[in-house]
Amino acid sequence: MLIRLTGGEIIDPVNGASGRRDLWFEDGFIIDKPEGRRADKTHDLSGCIVMAGAIDIHSHIGGGNVNTARLLLPEHHAAHLPRPAATPLSNAGWSTFTTGCLYAQMGFTTVVEPAMSPYNALHTHLELSDIPIIDKATLTILGNDDFLLSLIRDKSSTDMVDDYVAWTLASTNSLGVKVINAGAAAAFKENVRSFSFDDVVPAYGVSSRGIVKTLQASVNRLGVPHPLHVHANNLGLAGSADTASVTIDAAEGVPLHLAHLQFYGYGTEGKRKFSSEAARLAEQVNNNPDVTIDVGQVMFGQTVTVSSDVTRQFLAIGNADPKKTVIIDGDGNGGGIVPYRYRKNYYGSLQWAVGLELFLLIDDPWRVFFTTDHPNGAPFTAYPDLFELLMSREARDAKSAELNAAALELTTLASIRREYTLEEIAIMTRAAPARLLGLKDRGHLGPGAIADIAVYRRGSDIAGMFREAALVFKNGDLVVENGKVVHFRWGKALRLKPTPDKAMVRRMQAYHEERYGLSLDWFTFPDSAIERDEPFAEVSCKS
Amino acid sequence: MSVAWVGSQAVFLSDAIQHAAKLLASSRCPVISFDADVHGTRSVIALAEKLGAAYDHIRGRELLNEVALFTSHGGMFTTPGEVRRRADLIILVGDLPASHHELILSWASAQPDLAGKQSRRWFHLEGGEAVSGGKDAEGELSRQVKAVILSAEAASLGTAVALLRAELAGRRTATPITNLDSLKKALAEADFPVFVFSGNTEEPTSLAMLQGLVADLNRSKRASSLFLPSDDAAWGAVLTSVWMTGFPPRTGFPNGAPVYDPERWDIQRMLRDKEADLHLWISPGDEIPAKQGRIPLVALAHTASPVAGAAVTISIAAPGIDHDCVAYSSRTGTFRATRASAPSDRPAIAGIVRQLAQALPSGEAESC
Ligand SMILES: [Zn+2]
Repeated sequence: MLIRLTGGEIIDPVNGASGRRDLWFEDGFIIDKPEGRRADKTHDLSGCIVMAGAIDIHSHIGGGNVNTARLLLPEHHAAHLPRPAATPLSNAGWSTFTTGCLYAQMGFTTVVEPAMSPYNALHTHLELSDIPIIDKATLTILGNDDFLLSLIRDKSSTDMVDDYVAWTLASTNSLGVKVINAGAAAAFKENVRSFSFDDVVPAYGVSSRGIVKTLQASVNRLGVPHPLHVHANNLGLAGSADTASVTIDAAEGVPLHLAHLQFYGYGTEGKRKFSSEAARLAEQVNNNPDVTIDVGQVMFGQTVTVSSDVTRQFLAIGNADPKKTVIIDGDGNGGGIVPYRYRKNYYGSLQWAVGLELFLLIDDPWRVFFTTDHPNGAPFTAYPDLFELLMSREARDAKSAELNAAALELTTLASIRREYTLEEIAIMTRAAPARLLGLKDRGHLGPGAIADIAVYRRGSDIAGMFREAALVFKNGDLVVENGKVVHFRWGKALRLKPTPDKAMVRRMQAYHEERYGLSLDWFTFPDSAIERDEPFAEVSCKS
Repeated sequence: MSVAWVGSQAVFLSDAIQHAAKLLASSRCPVISFDADVHGTRSVIALAEKLGAAYDHIRGRELLNEVALFTSHGGMFTTPGEVRRRADLIILVGDLPASHHELILSWASAQPDLAGKQSRRWFHLEGGEAVSGGKDAEGELSRQVKAVILSAEAASLGTAVALLRAELAGRRTATPITNLDSLKKALAEADFPVFVFSGNTEEPTSLAMLQGLVADLNRSKRASSLFLPSDDAAWGAVLTSVWMTGFPPRTGFPNGAPVYDPERWDIQRMLRDKEADLHLWISPGDEIPAKQGRIPLVALAHTASPVAGAAVTISIAAPGIDHDCVAYSSRTGTFRATRASAPSDRPAIAGIVRQLAQALPSGEAESC
């Protein structure tokens, strides 16, 4: 079917200036205006803006730890308002089904689950396959696993490391590699409770820096499009800005992505020894063109922190609200679930401001990514309000007036005039994520791109505009109309599929048989195990 | 060979599905008991939502306390792989289901390669009153792993856990625990002790008490616990239910939205009290459902003949035997894809349940 969108303002910075023009698509792909043909269907989008479908690079939407959080907090889901019925599982709370619907309603069409434990890959992909409408992808976690730490300790060849990383990517069907508090989870099993960038995992004699550098180089050599995704040490602690700073310095001219930088934006100034270092970190990011970051913005209210940083989560048990937690010493990272309520007190206000400072003081929208680290800083349903804060100084000032003044005084927020433009929003949430993840077929509206399109009704209520997209197309199918899902379809999980080295496969077989007493097929799975038609789609590595 | 019956009459599968769908559609308050692999479970929960039905695993009663440990308490856990490779001290807690003995014995024959010292010690905390049947096999397990027995006279397991926690926290108790000093010494020397436990249906609070003990130890040293579910397939159903609806079983869909309520949706109670007016039973196991009073029964069972008293019987495949499947396994503590051991043409649960859902009139869903 040939479809024409007319009358809308196209905001597609990759393909030229914004302006009113027609957009055509057919069979799921955007095409040039076809000469001499009439559209089978025309949508009049007067008064609307048109962007590519949004891409979320870091949102914990599925897998073992997320599911454990659901199990720990049934009351959390019950708090979700029932939604109109008539569709399968449309009323479920914080379920896979609702996740797909809520994202689609905001015009998001691709979401990355950034923390998949390799041995949980089948579980994670089963969950992701039950998230409707949108495409998904995963980052696989390395850096606290015995095999890699042993390779580094034994000074194995870079080929060996690369073969292991490639085997892991292939067998877990991932799009990239993440390292989470490198070495700390392994050290925690030896009762090490604080762990910084140059600390060493006792059993291996390997430093956090050594692990990060090894993985960063390997990911780069393998041509994995997404740079190593780093969750640094000392998350959430006063003074963690220093950790972030040395980690950024360690990029050393090779691409590196730093996750949820807001949680490292803290200094030790002020009466409470908890202050903002966002301006310093933003400047450092501005001066390091190989570094990208996502923010992990904090918004207020009840949420639950879900993290594979088991050390950090163990230390946070005392802050749990309500008072129940799960801590897992896993085969590698493990993780922890700690429910938390962000209050408008000193700490919550400071965290909120630090996130906004980072957004507003990092100049290049291609290198700062829009996340709340769902659900850690806030659930992704808070995105519309966050767009408003970025695009309106007035909205920031109004919100600031409700918050702790002493905290805000230790930040630069009140002095920042910048307001994001729609073009910058389109870069930060569409074009830049696609480039960062190596997804050439999305993030823009040029011919050849898949027809993932979000249409918003332009209005003075910015949050309202982004909360309920007027129309959303996924692969050319109309899936959302006036903020409501009108059509269900199943998306795919995007993966790299490097061909694993045969010798490494044999080595993995021997390793699992010897160390776990189980054949390798206990830890791997065929595509057919997902029981959906074409559950995966391939993304190519850089050559 | 017949695979479908209406009453005792063999019929075409499609006719049996139509007949069952009619019964489901006209039911005001259908309830579903099931036992299935992941894909079967996914289909069952989707059907329950469409019907406005309540669902529970057929071993739902055993699941209650295991689920409640998470929904009301939480804890510190590790994986079977870490126990095998790292635990230098293993404390078995109570009678562990026989289905896990092979796993436990496999640790005894492997050295912990990630532990500081390449050996491990074993203890076994026993409750005074043996849970039905398990005791002999359990004594055998203790002997095989050469576990030192910890027991507190006739104290129940829950009481024994509480006594042990108090003693380890330095509080004196009136009831002595055998070999306590030797456990204290072993704990002091261990780098990564792990308490291995399973659900305890008699004493729900004992699971939280054990987690309290583990939390106490973690104030100064490391320790963890390994949860071995009373039934692997049932735990897989819990996890699947949780991601699909946000809730574990027992969950129902009154007015379309899922509501988790272990008392309200106790299917045996609902049948007894005649709140339910149709029972859909789905299980590839050997257990044959009993019809309750006049409430119609639709049985999807691994059977070559009609289930006595069932309005409709459909023969289904056993996951992992008749067809490839995905199921939870305590060997890895997560899901595993398994090949069929004896492939057959018997219809899979997921396929039958989806056909049932499709045969329902659309927009159907009055619910209790
Ligand atoms: Zn995260």
